[in-house]
Amino acid sequence: MTWFLNYFSFLKHSTSQQILISVLLIFSLAIIFLLSVSFGSFNFSILEFLYPSESSIQKTVLFEIRIPRVLLAGFVGASLGLSGASLQGLFRNPLADPGLIGVSAGAALGAALVIVLGSTYIPAYIFNTLALPISAVAGAALVISLLYFFTRGFGYQGITYMLLIGIAVNAFASVGIGILTFISTDSELRGLTFWTMGSFGGASWQIILPALMIIILSMLWMIPSSRKLDLLQLGEPEAYRLGIDVQKLKFKVIVSSAITVGISVSLSGMIGFVGLVVPHLVRLLGGVNHSYLLPASAFLGASLMMGADLLSRLLIAPAELPVGLITSAIGAPFFLWLIFRSRRI
Amino acid sequence: MSIKTSSISYEINNKNILKDISLEVELGEILCVLGPNGAGKSTLLNLLSGDFKPSSGEIYFDGKNLNDISIQERSFMRSVMAQSQAIVFDFSVKEIIEMGWLDKGLSGYADKFQEALDEIAEEASVKDLLNEKFNVLSGGEQRRVHFARTLLQTWRPSNSSDPIYLLLDEPTANLDILHEKKMMQKIKEKAADGIGVMIILHDINVAAKYSDKVAIFKDGQLKDIGPPSAVFDEEKLSATYGLPMKINENPYRITY
Repeated sequence: MTWFLNYFSFLKHSTSQQILISVLLIFSLAIIFLLSVSFGSFNFSILEFLYPSESSIQKTVLFEIRIPRVLLAGFVGASLGLSGASLQGLFRNPLADPGLIGVSAGAALGAALVIVLGSTYIPAYIFNTLALPISAVAGAALVISLLYFFTRGFGYQGITYMLLIGIAVNAFASVGIGILTFISTDSELRGLTFWTMGSFGGASWQIILPALMIIILSMLWMIPSSRKLDLLQLGEPEAYRLGIDVQKLKFKVIVSSAITVGISVSLSGMIGFVGLVVPHLVRLLGGVNHSYLLPASAFLGASLMMGADLLSRLLIAPAELPVGLITSAIGAPFFLWLIFRSRRI
Repeated sequence: MSIKTSSISYEINNKNILKDISLEVELGEILCVLGPNGAGKSTLLNLLSGDFKPSSGEIYFDGKNLNDISIQERSFMRSVMAQSQAIVFDFSVKEIIEMGWLDKGLSGYADKFQEALDEIAEEASVKDLLNEKFNVLSGGEQRRVHFARTLLQTWRPSNSSDPIYLLLDEPTANLDILHEKKMMQKIKEKAADGIGVMIILHDINVAAKYSDKVAIFKDGQLKDIGPPSAVFDEEKLSATYGLPMKINENPYRITY
């Protein structure tokens, strides 16, 4: 029991108002979940989710297609929201995002490699469950290793290096994806294009369960560091003088972001701006301390992503829009507004 | 009980920043570090804080080698106020000060936060600022908030006898004369309560007024150390700063 209480001790740095906001976010997450499960090209009434009807085809659609898809959307949203919030804290830069340090690009290049070079040789079920996620996580891991190498173990003065390496990796990955696009066949190109725009279609329990487990574990590992991220805002030397092992903290944030983002990218493709926008909305709602920001960003990220996925299924039903188009269409103007507002960069 | 350095040197790119420094900061006294720009004063503070290791020589806290003290333990033994960096996100003043509250390992008084905060806010004259956003404050006000945070890190219940040190790098920069005086008096009181203080100062007269010992640095070397009356010598001071100086006895003032 004590370890359980200790785990949640970070919450004592949140105000009661912030805890109320978090509870409301969880509540709205539940509502959006029910709505997302109910609507789509195949509609259910919300009650039917709780008392499933007997019709076997409806059951299959609901439990084998709809629910895994909505869950995946939620978890990808939560990963992007949480890793966005923690990377912004780590880099002390409100414009940081998993894409910024090149981790998303590394994952994307890994995935694109397999899509173009492997899909014709690898059987479909192995391809989706193993080859694609492993290759994406490997891509993300490679970028992290590069970061680790060039910054001498996420060293004391490493932040600027990391951002510059992120720029280089992003450029390199877009060249790689460009070449792959050029040499791909028509069907591969189609897969690649849909994947680079992001989609939650094709989620099944078999594919998402292991991924969700890893994402949950990695989040639970990250969230209790929130107080340390607060202290880091004073600057790395100050945080160290207040007793924080800054190297360890950096390692934790980078590794957990890489894992959650790498897996998310492999399962759903490139979905931009969620990691950037969500933490800002959360800060506007209730404050900047990370004990509130990190969990709340995960909840809001999940809600927004489920909402975006719902839109992607409804807007041109029965066809689907790629969800990445929706998040970018909302996120890009928001990004501009942020730059305009802060004028710090 | 003291912080003691035994002939520490620090070099970077084959350039000696500090050379063979041996000095001691004792509990209950204020050691003031003076010297022209580039003398190595801030580097000394970095080494004592443990930000980086000396190239040679050892540092002892109460007889224990600094290398053998964990990062967290160090935060209980000394509190540092250095030149601060900009804070990007909109924290409130109260949140910034609270960052000095070390809640782990001090389980005996985890519930004393409010008491400590009230006391410190009064001492650092930031009481009226507590609910403001840190980033809207003036430079001097921000300095006072950081001072409050630094003091909170040293806060202990009145019955505690833990040895604690304050390492301060020009804490009064940007302060108006009223708050400069208040802060220096507060530091003096803290020393009287048993805290060991090392302070880097710019103003020789402030140093003369408040310090128990003065250390004069130039070109990475410790030129002189001792009580102000012994160290402040017209010839030596003029040579150190490269500026003719004159000491007036009554009232005691160094003019240049």
